[in-house]
Amino acid sequence: MDGPVIDARELEPPEPFVRVMDALKTLAPGATLTVLLPREPFPLYATLDKLGYPHDASLDGDGTYTIRIRKPA
Amino acid sequence: MTTPLALEQAPPLSVPLRFFLSGPPLGAAAGVLVAVRWDVVTESRWALESLAAVHLVTVGFMLQVMAGALLQFLPVAAGANVWRPRVTGAVAHIGFLGGGLLLVGGFLGLGGWCFRGAAFTFGVATLFYVAVVGGGLLRSSAIGPTLPALKLAVLGLLVTVALGVTLLTALGWSARVPVLEVLHAHVAWGVIGWSATLVVGVAYLVVPMFQLTPPYPTRLAFALPPGLFGAALAWTAGVLLAVRWLAWAGTALGALALVGFAVKTLQLQARRRRGVKDSTFYAWRVGMAALVLAVVAAVAVRALPEGAARIRLEYVVGVALFAGVFPAVISGMLYKIVPFLVWLHLQRVMTGAPTMQKVIPAAGPRWQLRVLGAALACLSLAAAWPVLAVAGGALFAAACLLLEWHVVQAARLYARLAAAAAQRPEAGARP
Repeated sequence: MDGPVIDARELEPPEPFVRVMDALKTLAPGATLTVLLPREPFPLYATLDKLGYPHDASLDGDGTYTIRIRKPA
Repeated sequence: MTTPLALEQAPPLSVPLRFFLSGPPLGAAAGVLVAVRWDVVTESRWALESLAAVHLVTVGFMLQVMAGALLQFLPVAAGANVWRPRVTGAVAHIGFLGGGLLLVGGFLGLGGWCFRGAAFTFGVATLFYVAVVGGGLLRSSAIGPTLPALKLAVLGLLVTVALGVTLLTALGWSARVPVLEVLHAHVAWGVIGWSATLVVGVAYLVVPMFQLTPPYPTRLAFALPPGLFGAALAWTAGVLLAVRWLAWAGTALGALALVGFAVKTLQLQARRRRGVKDSTFYAWRVGMAALVLAVVAAVAVRALPEGAARIRLEYVVGVALFAGVFPAVISGMLYKIVPFLVWLHLQRVMTGAPTMQKVIPAAGPRWQLRVLGAALACLSLAAAWPVLAVAGGALFAAACLLLEWHVVQAARLYARLAAAAAQRPEAGARP
């Protein structure tokens, strides 16, 4: 994975959301932030859409969701 | 200042709260009815008082909370928008509540008009609710196993109510219906096709999220909901077409799926990464243990000939499900969902919104679970000593009232802080 990774699988809400928002502030334009979660974070998607960050997700066999968030260049 | 969570998709707090506030008192009414008519309730699951008590729990307590939670859950779990949430919430809430009260009134001898009114009210409210929620689910782009589980659960609700309304046509209009067969199918769809499937789908999100367990393995998570749906389908076909092996296949498949879910949930809880063992953790443990008990007793019922032992076991199945599995899991979820929603909505209008632990302090839910556990123990033992159902019913009512009190306290805290924030926008409210 290129760029920073946040493993938020052990964090209780709203901590994953807060950490992602903090990480996006320091993310370089064009870079990708990867987030690991045990669920698909639709409230986070809504915020990212509002802020203009493209994102996609995939689901692994152990139930972990990998969310990739790209900071626009 | 941290960016607040986007709330555009989430319904107003009043939408789920109206359901959460009206559910527990109906559960309490069931407890009182059991305590008062313990002799009849422990004797036969088909007695009118038994049917009234069961429906006070299922369409009163359970349907209220589950239908309200689903409206809240859709945007969070599936990214699905609910059409005009206030209107949808009001129609479903009034329809399900009115229909439930009419149904119970009919069972308690208020007249056939209650059954006719319940059939109409439930039919209309369910069609509306399923259309709105189903529409949202069909538009969802979620990739996980929760989405198919919710779709099947909503379909299960539709089948459950359709079979229930069919039975009401026999009670309200004396229509010629194969009552016993339809009744068995109605129970299977209500318990497995709707309630258990919804709990499974919701568990995929809330167990890892609130109890900090590893997630459910993907293949198992995708397999369980269709397994439960197939079990209800096979059981129904077997009973309606009088094909014994098909009914047994449905029983076996349902038992396998439910025990598999309970065991996997207990395993995940044992492998949790960190965090305190709060009342929700123990509520799910009680619920899953009761689920295993209910499944074992239900399979034994199928194997036993007619007689006193079978009646006792049928009673145990009912107690394990309606005083154990569903009330425990629903209480555990409400004690997380309500504080989370209060925090979620307050953080939009004020800085320093109270944490979840401060919205409902931990001691209250712990006591509620103890009382519920005592109710479950007394009601189960009443299979051998029926008079214990008096204490069991009273304790169940007390557990429901405690839950109600805690939800009311959380709602009052929200109202107070939101009103204070609105009065001093310059002091801390967000733009």
